[in-house]
Parts: sequence; structure tokens; C-alpha cells
Amino acid sequence: MSLSRQDVAAIADYARIGLTDAELDAMTSYMNDAIALLDPILEYDIAGVEPTYHPIGDLANVARDDAAAVGLSLQEALTNVPDSQGGYVRVPAILGEGGAS
Amino acid sequence: MTGALDGFSVRQIARGVAAGDFSATEVARASLDAIARRDGEVQAFQQTTEELALAAAGEVDAARAAGKTLPPLAGVPVAFKDNMNLVGTRTTCASRMLASYESAYTATCVQRMLDAGAVPVGKLNMDEFAFGSTTDSSAFHSTNNPWDLTRVPGGSSGGSAAAVASGEVAVALGSDTGGSIRQPAALCGVVGMKPTYGVVSRYGVVAFGSSLDQVGPLGRRVEDVAAALNALTAGGRDRHDAMSQDCAQDYLAHLDDSVEGRTVGVIPALLEAAGLAAEVRTAMRDAEERLAGQGVRVVEVDLPNMASSIAAYYVIASCEAFSNLARFDGVRYGYQEPGHATLARQTSRSRALGFGAEAKRRQMLGAYLLSSEAYDRYYLAAQKVRTLITADYRRAFAQVDAILLPTSPTPAWRHGEISDPAALYLADIYTISNNIVGNCGISVPVCLGSQSGLPIGAQLQGPAFADARLLTLARALERASDMEGRVAPAFAGRGGELA
Repeated sequence: MSLSRQDVAAIADYARIGLTDAELDAMTSYMNDAIALLDPILEYDIAGVEPTYHPIGDLANVARDDAAAVGLSLQEALTNVPDSQGGYVRVPAILGEGGAS
Repeated sequence: MTGALDGFSVRQIARGVAAGDFSATEVARASLDAIARRDGEVQAFQQTTEELALAAAGEVDAARAAGKTLPPLAGVPVAFKDNMNLVGTRTTCASRMLASYESAYTATCVQRMLDAGAVPVGKLNMDEFAFGSTTDSSAFHSTNNPWDLTRVPGGSSGGSAAAVASGEVAVALGSDTGGSIRQPAALCGVVGMKPTYGVVSRYGVVAFGSSLDQVGPLGRRVEDVAAALNALTAGGRDRHDAMSQDCAQDYLAHLDDSVEGRTVGVIPALLEAAGLAAEVRTAMRDAEERLAGQGVRVVEVDLPNMASSIAAYYVIASCEAFSNLARFDGVRYGYQEPGHATLARQTSRSRALGFGAEAKRRQMLGAYLLSSEAYDRYYLAAQKVRTLITADYRRAFAQVDAILLPTSPTPAWRHGEISDPAALYLADIYTISNNIVGNCGISVPVCLGSQSGLPIGAQLQGPAFADARLLTLARALERASDMEGRVAPAFAGRGGELA
């Protein structure tokens, strides 16, 4: 199974990584090489084996008391925001050409 | 007691400060002087933090003057991998994406070192977002191996290993997702420990692979690493990290216990693997003998599914990386390319320009592997193989206290010598299964290679939460070597004099 340039372009769109044409060629080649490297995973007899999603198997949900605590101030939270206005984070239109896809 | 600061152990520095042999401010200035005189060549640092260092050292000196009992790392210079937040510094992850990111809060691991009295002298270079094993993928500059400046320091915590190996700091923190503490430690001739998953809080450390990441210390002695681990665990469980466990204990207490009667496993097939340098094989056999010489029983064990660990790791790590790095949208923080009419275009172009090549590759692979067509075939299969690898280790640790194996198949290679990403992935073969399972591991420098003259590290892996016992065995390995406390010869004693 190999990924075409179009497949990789679709993945890049989904991953929100706008690759140039030249990058897309190199990425297609990398993706196919990398997936080939993963193929040993297909050779194991894993029928009936339960997956392990986490090294600490018996995790319990950790709840804390529902008590107010001091978090970041508005000013601190906005320190690294590239574009803000009046205490809000400002973004371009979320709908429109290419935006809703 | 005077001399070059790089000749002192962590405990010698703290005791010297407590005894008034020298002040914390003098120690901080000596470390900053060593950095100024050495780092032009080593390039381990992303930024130095003179103001923070002198303020912290001043507090230690004031506490001593007021007659207070000093904390255990009082005055010890420490530096942090640049994926760890510290208020007053940028946290860049060596990425253009975060080039101007100001830490909004301080990571628990960093805070605990500061609470123990350690003095922060700077932030250290790394592979971008910790993707790599050379530190060459940093968006800003490469770091050079202090033992041979034409060679890589390893990675991704290459800045941490190089800063310790060149004697710029006594101890540094790194993070290890697939070997990123142990491998650079091996290549730079220092001790690097990946504690058991959950021992050290990851709160405030930029996430890569959340089921794999673990923070740990690098130092020039097992003792220095144990002293740092004491500080990192001293507060018990961190409520900000759901995986954090209460692992507070004195990791220094049993370092010099006898190892007679302990059992260490070796895997003969691994030493015959293609790509393993002959001098690494020889070093490993010597390490076995040195342990046996102290009464350790060396027995053969098998991890039959270990060969699958590279594939399983790159599936799991890429998927988790894609998931974690989705937060970098250039809206709330990070690089933003302005001038786009829609959010989707702005995000897509900001991510394309903010991330470097390897960060893009890993996320693309993860995005594919989590897609509906690949999820069952690769992602679910990898998590099932993880169960098999975990069972292998469980069987092995029913027989032995630890497993001895190489850290890296070769000593440090030259910058650019290995450029194929897939070839670099394969070099992680000895370290990554440890992360997949969540066990503890440590790399200890055992010798200089008979051909290369470069440091070679031996790795010990232990079962989950047997970190203290692992340190005792690591100390036994160190005791039988002549590498303890070694600073790379070109830098030893250059600047950093304690008056």
C-alpha cells in the first residue's frame, strides 16, 4: 500500500500544514519510507491481545475538590497572543473561502 | 576548598555553600564564567539567565547569613532543556514556532529544583520539539559534542548532555520520550536517567508523546543524578499531572550498598546485531565483567518482541505528537503569519512556516496513522504489540533486577553523517522499548572507545518504580570505571574558577 501525492496533500490539509509543491514531493517520499519501516508491526500475532494505551495500567480518574484557585490573569494569558484586541484573542474569519473545510 | 567548579560534585557544592567555604553567588558567577568561556564552542545554551541566577544565589546567601538551614541543592548551578517553562525565560522548544514564547508559569520539575536551592543559569538547546537524536534539528543552531566538536552530542536533550559534559553546569534536566536523555548522555560521556513513567511531574513541560514522556536528570556522577532525583520527587505527587505518583524517597541512601547477589540480565542476540560498533560490544562485555566482579550474577534473558519496538514506538509517538502539537495554531501563542483572510489559511501557513522539517514529518505521519483507514492497521496494532513487549519485560524482571544493554549502537557521529530520518530512527533500538513499557533506565559512561576515543555508555533498565535499586547498580558500574566526574578534556578547568 503506498500513498500518492494526492493522498499526502489531503493529509496535509487535514493536519493544517500548508506544504509547498516541492515539500509535498519530499513528504510523499518520506511518508512511504516511514510507513514501510512500520510494517513489522503487521507481522505479529496479536489476535486476542488487549491493547495497552498507557504504561500505568490501572489509572483511576483524578478528581480534585471543586474549590476556586488562582489561575493566570487576563494579562498573563494574553502575553503570547500574536493578535488581540480589548482583552480578546483576534482571529480572521472562520467561514468563507477554504475556512469551513 | 577551591579550584575549578567543574571538579565539584553536586553535594560538594551544596556542602561548601552551607559551610561558608564559598558563597552561592560565587558559585553562580563561576558557572556563568564557565559558560561564557566554553559555550562559544559547545553551543549548548539557548539563553543564559544571569539575573535569575544571581537573584536565586543571593537568596541562598541571605538564608545562610540569617542562620537558616539550607536546602539540599543550595547554590548548585542547574540548566533546563528548553521545553521546560520557567517564568522569566522564553521556552522555545528550539522551534521557530515558539521563538518568542514567554513562559507564563513554571514547570513543576523546574520549581522543585529551585525549591531545593538550585540556581538556574539557563535554558538548553534540543532537537525541535524533542524530535530527533542529534540536536541538529534545532531551528536556531546545532550543539557540538564537547569530546569532539565536529560530532553531534546526541539528542534530543543534546544541550543538557553537552552542558554537563563540558562542565558548564553541575546538573541539567532533560526529557526522554524514546531515549532523549540516555542517548545524549552516552554520546557525551555523562550519566543520564529516565526515571519510571510517573516519577517526575511533566506539568509545564511541552508535551511530545504523553504516554512516553518522562523528565529526568543528567550529571557527571550517578550521585549527582540521585541528588537531583531527590529534589524532583521531594514534594510527592504533583496534582497538576494526572500521571504523577508519590515517589519521594532518599535516592542517595543506598547508592553504595553492596550489589553482591543482585542479578542482571543480558541479551546476547542484541550484541550480535548489525550496526553495533565493535568497541561498543567490547565495552558491554567489560561492563558485564565489572558487575560480575562485584558479585552480581549475570544471566541471559530474552525480550522476543523487542525487534518490534521501533515500529510500535514510531506509530505511538507520531500519533501522540500529532495530537499534542495540534495546539500550535498561531492564535493563542506561537508563530503567526498575518495577512490571511480565513483562520484555516492562517493556521495552515503559520504551522507550515513555524515548524521545521522533522516536526512536520512526525505530525504528518501521525495524522495519517490516526486516519480511519490506518487506525486499526497500525495504531491499534502498535498498542497490542505494546502489550506483548510489556509482557516480555515482566517475564524478564521476574528473573533479574535489571537488564544491561548498550545505550547507542555507536559512539557520537559527525554532524550530517547520518541524514536519512529512517536510519536515525533505527539508532534508537536500545532505548525506546523502555519508554513503551514505562520502566526506568539509566545510561552510565563506562569507558572511552578503543578505536574512537569517544565516550561509550552502558544502559541499565529496571522495572517500574525500582529507580533506587537501578541507581545502586548504576553506581556499581560507575565505581568500576574511570569515568566518574569526567569533564571533556578540552574544557576541563577552562574558566569557572572558585576563588
